[in-house]
This record gives sequence, structure tokens and C-alpha cells, in this order.
Amino acid sequence: MELISSDPFSWLAYALFFAGAPLLTGFVNKLKARFSGRFGPTVFQPYYELFRLARKETIYSVHAGFISRLAPVIVLCTAAFAALFLPLGKTAAITFPGDLILFAYLLALGRFFQILAALDTAGGFEGMGASREARFAVFAEPIFFFTIGSLAIVTRSYSFTSILVGGISWSDPSFVVFVSVGLLSLFFLMMSECSRMPVDDPNTHLELTMIHEAMILDASGVDLMLYQYTASLKFLLYCVLAALLLNPFGVFGPAIGLVVFAMTLGGMAAGLALVETLMARFRLVLVPQFLLFATAIGLLNVLIFIRL
Amino acid sequence: MIWFFVISLLLEALSFVMPAFVRESRRLNVAVNLLNATALLLGLTFSLSGLLVYQYVEYQIELPAAGPVVIGFDGLSLFFLFTFQLLSFAASLYAIGYLRDYIERGFSVRAHLSFFTLLIVAMQLVAILHNALAFLIAWEAMAVAAYFSIVFDQDREDVRRGGFWYFVATHASALLLFVCFLTLHEKTGSWNFNDFASYTGYDTQTLAIVLLTGMIGFGIKAGFMPFHAWLPNAHSAAPTHVSALLSAINIKAGIYGMARLMMILPALSAAYGWGLLAVSLVSAVLGVWYALAQHDIKRLLAYHSVENIGIIGLGLSVAWLGRCYALPELVVLGFAGALLHTLNHAIFKGLLFFGAGNVYQRAHSGNVENMGGFARVLPLTSATFLVGAISICGLPPFNGFASEFLVYKSFFRTADLLHGYAPLAMLVSAVGLAFMGGLAVACFTKLYGIVFLGVNRSGIAPQPQSEPASSNIPLLGLAGLCALLGIFPQIGLRLASPALNELANSAQAPVGWASPLAQLQIVFALFLALVAICYGLKRWWQSKAGVRVHETWGCGYARITFRMQYTASSFAEELVNLGRPMLAVGMKWKPISTILPTAEAFHSHCHDRMENGWLAFHGVIGRVLALFRWIQSGNIRHYVLYMFAALFFYLLCALVWN
Repeated sequence: MELISSDPFSWLAYALFFAGAPLLTGFVNKLKARFSGRFGPTVFQPYYELFRLARKETIYSVHAGFISRLAPVIVLCTAAFAALFLPLGKTAAITFPGDLILFAYLLALGRFFQILAALDTAGGFEGMGASREARFAVFAEPIFFFTIGSLAIVTRSYSFTSILVGGISWSDPSFVVFVSVGLLSLFFLMMSECSRMPVDDPNTHLELTMIHEAMILDASGVDLMLYQYTASLKFLLYCVLAALLLNPFGVFGPAIGLVVFAMTLGGMAAGLALVETLMARFRLVLVPQFLLFATAIGLLNVLIFIRL
Repeated sequence: MIWFFVISLLLEALSFVMPAFVRESRRLNVAVNLLNATALLLGLTFSLSGLLVYQYVEYQIELPAAGPVVIGFDGLSLFFLFTFQLLSFAASLYAIGYLRDYIERGFSVRAHLSFFTLLIVAMQLVAILHNALAFLIAWEAMAVAAYFSIVFDQDREDVRRGGFWYFVATHASALLLFVCFLTLHEKTGSWNFNDFASYTGYDTQTLAIVLLTGMIGFGIKAGFMPFHAWLPNAHSAAPTHVSALLSAINIKAGIYGMARLMMILPALSAAYGWGLLAVSLVSAVLGVWYALAQHDIKRLLAYHSVENIGIIGLGLSVAWLGRCYALPELVVLGFAGALLHTLNHAIFKGLLFFGAGNVYQRAHSGNVENMGGFARVLPLTSATFLVGAISICGLPPFNGFASEFLVYKSFFRTADLLHGYAPLAMLVSAVGLAFMGGLAVACFTKLYGIVFLGVNRSGIAPQPQSEPASSNIPLLGLAGLCALLGIFPQIGLRLASPALNELANSAQAPVGWASPLAQLQIVFALFLALVAICYGLKRWWQSKAGVRVHETWGCGYARITFRMQYTASSFAEELVNLGRPMLAVGMKWKPISTILPTAEAFHSHCHDRMENGWLAFHGVIGRVLALFRWIQSGNIRHYVLYMFAALFFYLLCALVWN
């Protein structure tokens, strides 16, 4: 398998992926508004906000050093680079055995800089957000390895491409259960990693309860734009991962594959909108329990895994 | 080439005796350390060229009692020799500036410099002596030299205490090793490792004794849980250049011993491999969790050594399983992960300790709660410490990732090749490794963020001053190595490949089995290019859109002070609480009772349950032995009587047995 894809279609898919990231966020916001009986802003609203931020000047704290200036770029690049491992075409843009490990660790690198950038400002709110992010992120990687790692062991392949493109045998019923359970823990992982309800509230801004928004409280201008764009990129990343996982037909196979892919994406967005409409954010002490629950689902996966 | 090494040892012998001739401390400090550095540079030339153009060479020296002492330069010895020399070189340079501070405060460094040199020499000898008796002598010399190097600042109570912890631990280790090697000698009639390896008449019981005593003996030195309790105490007590040596390479002598035992003994039951896996996993996860709870910068780093030793142990246990099931691929992968992590950990841990030492000298305390804003005071230390912090968390593109990647890969391959519950165990191990990765990120964002970022928490901002030039070279050099071995991990693998070939006992090229490592460099090059381009674009765009510097936004509150920042304790509190049953957190405070409270204080401290367990254990031993204290009367005539009694006893024994 070649390291870097030469398939122009997959690169086109990546272009769509990077361009379309804010659209999914806009879609969720629209759905949320509709569910709660409001009309809501257009689905393109996130784009307008990104453009607005890009035009503004950037203000740095007097205490901030090079970390604050570098972090937005690192956070963006890690998420964007991790996306290149997902097989959006017949194969991923970059694929090699073990890319799923690099995927998890790249996202961790982004988180590392995000937390440091928060502590760089010397503000109390940012420190609070950073502490919470570090705390909840501890659970993210076990959940990821319980789902994707067990899939890798079962399919005996260690790259996203070989797992997601033809690695899963859909005729085996225990695989179907396996993938569905994995999908559930991915959904929980997405809620925590993308700072959505019930772990974090992307809308509150000046409460003592926020996590991601607290960390970027002092970011402005282009930096804030990069953070916001990365947030929507990560959201799309997890949704696409789920959609690729739950697709017996293959995205670039028959047309129905593309339909199933789009439906899963929409389903994830709708599910999230539903959860955010119906539920309030958890009290912070409850969040570790929620994440432990998601890890426990991963354990359930393992029990099935013994069966295989 | 061997003459390079001989000259290097001679130069070190010269610097060992030099304190007896040079009177002036300042000059002595520079002379001894520069001489050591020169000697180690020669030694490095020897070991590096030996690894790159590898051919097994051995020399024999006749010694009384021990018979022919084999000095062997096989792949494993050369690899560890290289690692030891590399870090000793860096520590020698660093010691120049670090000790100058002590000399100015009136410390005598004469004896310390001799013992420091002895420590460096003894560690090199441990790696190359292939004769059990000579090995044990070098091992003890290393232990004694390390003890005296630790108790440099002996007026401090905690230093004497930490030194004593080390002393007890290292003797417990030596005692077990004596049993281990004497059993081997009894069986084979030789002291040489080669003869141990070629002997075929081992029975299971002997092997079990040898393995258990050897593994525990070396495990105490390496700092596996529950034998780690000496580590944080000794590391925080020692002066920085010594703690860097202890943490980066001295504990690796234990790893060397374990790898050597696995090389010379036939593969025994897989149960030992699974046991080692469990111990390593516990060491790794609890090590980083305890680290998270520490307030002292050196104690925190010491607990991280326990974590990293655990990761190395994970690699070793996979290699063990590979040997038991006769799967050379697993042996190579497991050892590749373990050896690479040994080298990588030595590099970044040395780097982190040197950085911590620079901070310690400015803050005059290791307590991170009083720190903050050191990035402005010590820019170079700050930048290199960041590199070390990213490396130790195992994050790409630095060297920690390369070795953890190999460990992951060895887990996945084991799951492939073994059946039954092995895949499940490997999945749990992989999840454990991921979990401790998350904890390490929390721990090092805390350390770096609290120490280097923000505003100083003691209220007195330290003045910016340049770091001593002698610390710049090791800091920059080690940070450069972190990047080099991270982006081009096959360099490290190339250095380990002679050892891997010998350990797997096969002629196949092991580099092929670890092939994704070669692909990583292209991926990292692309990633770094992406970051550079994005950063350039961002700066260009910002230059058009405008940049302004202003006070941190306090959400409308105008009187922000440095005390409103998050502290290290508050940053880690919730995660520490999650580990509650294992981590005992003691808190002391008085509830506020009046309407207008005056000054209140809050203290929290995390106890190490295993350390407390050892203390209780030693307490029991002490109480039992106290029953015999009357023997020590202090009266010299009684002692003369004891001597006569003993002599009489031996004579009687000799008479009876003849």
C-alpha cells in the first residue's frame, strides 16, 4: 500500500471535507433551533462568523509568550493532519500500518498545546478550563483504543484504510453488534472531544461551567477563527469516522454507499442536536462518570470481542 | 578503536584522583568535569563506531578468584555503554555551571567530584563486564559512588533521608543479585556470562530461583513498582546533575541486567512474561498518577521515571512472550521498543532534569506552587523543556512517540500471533498505555504551564538572566537529539540493531519488522511542513489584520492579581481525586467560622501508599532487631570478646568438618 495517495478523487474529497466542516456545525445549530421552536440562523452562519473573526485584529495578553502564538496553528494542523488518515476515497491520503496510533497522538498533541495556551494567559478562567480539559481528555484515548483498537485487533490490520475499506466482514452478525456498540462509544467520545453537551456547553461563554470556551477566552481575531474552525473540523472528523465505520457498502462503491454515508453523517448531527435540545449540561462532577460509562461500553465491546 | 576507550578510562582515572592535587575548588570543578567530558567524548567515539560497524570483540583479563574476566563488546553492552556515556557526557558539562553555584556558597566539592567520576566509570564497567563477580564489584562500586554523590548537600535532613533510601534499596538489590549469580556459579562452575549462556543443564527450580532473584534484584534498581519508593526520595535529594544521571541512566542499569538475564538464560514459562506485563502496566499507570499529585519538580520527574520504566518493561515482557513461544518477530519488536525507549527516555529525562535544575537555581526551591513565568526568565531552558515535555508524553514528532509506537506495534503483533486470552490482554495493555498517555499530558501541561507560563506565583518576579553557557550545550544538544531520534526513528533502531539481532538469535534484518518507523519520517516531514506553512500564513495575515498586546481579559474584573491563577494543586486536584483509593491525599485546613476571617491556610499532600508500606515493613524489622540491641554495648572489651568467640566458633567448625 502506498504511503501517500495518488488518487485525485480522494484529494477532491478532502477538499470538500475541509471546506464543509463549518457547514455541519451550522446544520446542528439550525436543527437545534428548529427543535426548540425557533427559526435559527442560516446553516452558513459559521462561515460568516469565521470571516468576521478573520478581519479583526488579534489581541495578545501581556503575559502570553510564543505558546499562545503557536498553539492555534498546532491545534489546527494536528486535527487537519489526523483527518488525512481517514479513507475518504478508495484509500486515505496518508496511510501506513499504525496510522491509527498516530491519529490519537496527533489529537493529543493539539490538546497539549491548547491547554498550554490557556495557561499562558495567566488568567483564572483559562486555568479552570485547562484543568477540566486535561481531566476529561484522560478518558478520550482509552475510549478510542477500546473501539478502534479492538477493531484493529479483530481485523488484524492497523491502518484506518485497511480496517474501514473492506476490513469488516458484514456477514458476521457479531461484527454488526461490534460496530454498533463501537459507534455508540464513538458518539460519546465525540461529545466529550468536541466540547458538546452534556459534557460542555458550546454556547455559554461567561459561566464557571465551561471548558473549551474557557480555554480560548483570551483568543481573538485570526487565532479565535482558527480555534473555531478546528472545533468544527474535529466535529466533522468524528462524525465521518463513525459514518465510515457504519457503511457495509463502501463510500466509493455503489451509489447506495454514498447515501448511507450521508445519512449517518446527518444522523450523528441530528442525534447531537436532539441530545443538546433535550438535555442540560451535566454537573462537572458527573462528567467523569459519564465518560467512565462510555469506557464501560468499550469494555462491552471487548466482551463481544472474546466471542469473535 | 579500543584504545579510544582505554584512554577514556585512563583519563577518568586521572580525574578521579585529581581532587587530591588541585586545591582551588573553582578550578578543580572545571578541570575534572572538562576532563570527564573529553574522556567521554573519546568513549562515545568508540561505542558509536562499534555500534555502526558492528563486530563482536572480547578481551580477557586474568583476575584472582574470578578467573578469566571477559570484557565483551556485544550489541547489548555497546548499546548501553553508548547510552551511559552520552548522558554522562551531558551531565559532566552541566555540572560545571551547576556546581559553581554551590562553590560560591562555600560547599566543598572535592570528594563529590571524585565520587561523581567513580559513578560514571562504574556505570560503564557494569555495561561491559561479562563476568558475574567483576560485574557485582562494579555494581557495588556504582551503588556506593551514587550514594555519596546523592548526599552532597548533607546538611539537609531530607538529603540524608533520600540517600539512606537509596542505600537500603541498592543493597537489597545487590543481595538478591548475589543469590542469583552465586546460584548460577554453583550450577555452571564459572563466573562468565558466556558459560552461563552455553550451559544446558538447568533444571526448572534453579531457573526459577535465578529468574526471581535476578528480576527482582534488577527490578529494584530499575524502580518497578512496588520497589520504586527509593526513587522519588533519592532523586529529589541529589544535586541536579546527579539526579539526572540517576534517573536517566542509573536505573537503566537494572534494565540492562534484565535484558542480559533474558539473553543468557533459556526461555522459561510464559507466566513470568505475563507477570512482568502486569507489574509494568501497574508501574506505568500508577507512576504517572503519583507524578500528577506531586508539588516538587524533581519528585514529579522521578515518578515519571517509574512510568517510563513501566513502558520499557512492557516491551521486555512482549519480548519474553516471544521467546517462550519461539516467535523471533515478537522478540525483536519487544526489545526494539524497550531499547529504543531506554535511549529515548535517557535523553529526554536528562533534558528535563537539567531544565528543572536551572529553574531550581533561580527559584531556590523545588516547589512548583511558587513558580510561574519562567519562560521569560529562562527562555532557552523553557524552549528545551517544552521539547522534553512533548517527548516524555510520547507525542509526535519527538522521540518518545517512536518508542511508544513500537510498543503499540508489538502489542498488536502479539495479539495477531498468539491465541486465547492474549489478544484481550494486549488490548487492555494498549488501552492502559493510551490512558497513561492522557495522564502524562495532564501532568506535563501542569508542570510546564505552572512553572514556565503565566506570572510568578511567589509575588516576586525573578529577573531575566542568561543561563550558564555550560548548561546551554547539554540542553540544546539533548533537545536536538529528541527531535532527531523522533523524526528519524530508524537511527535509534540502527543503533539497537546489533543487540536486537543477538537477542532474537537470528540473522534476519530486524529493521524490516519495525518498518512503519521508516515511513514515519516522511509523515513527520509533511506534518512539520504543514505547521510551518500555516504559521507563516497566519503571521502574514496577522501583519495585515493587526496585532495588539493588552492585559488578560478578566471578564470585566479589573483587579487581577497573580494569586488568581490556577495552581498546580488545583489543576491536578480532580484527576488526583479520581485515583483516590490508590493515592492517599491528606488535607489539613481549618473551616472558616467567623464572618470576617483572618489568614487561613490549606495544605494538601499525596502519600505514596507503597512507600508507607515499606516504612511499616522496615519498622517491624527495626522493632525485632531492637531486641538484640543490648549486644551493642559500646564497651570495647565486649567487642574483643565477640571477636574471640567468633574466632573460636570458626576454629571449632573447621575442626568438626575436617
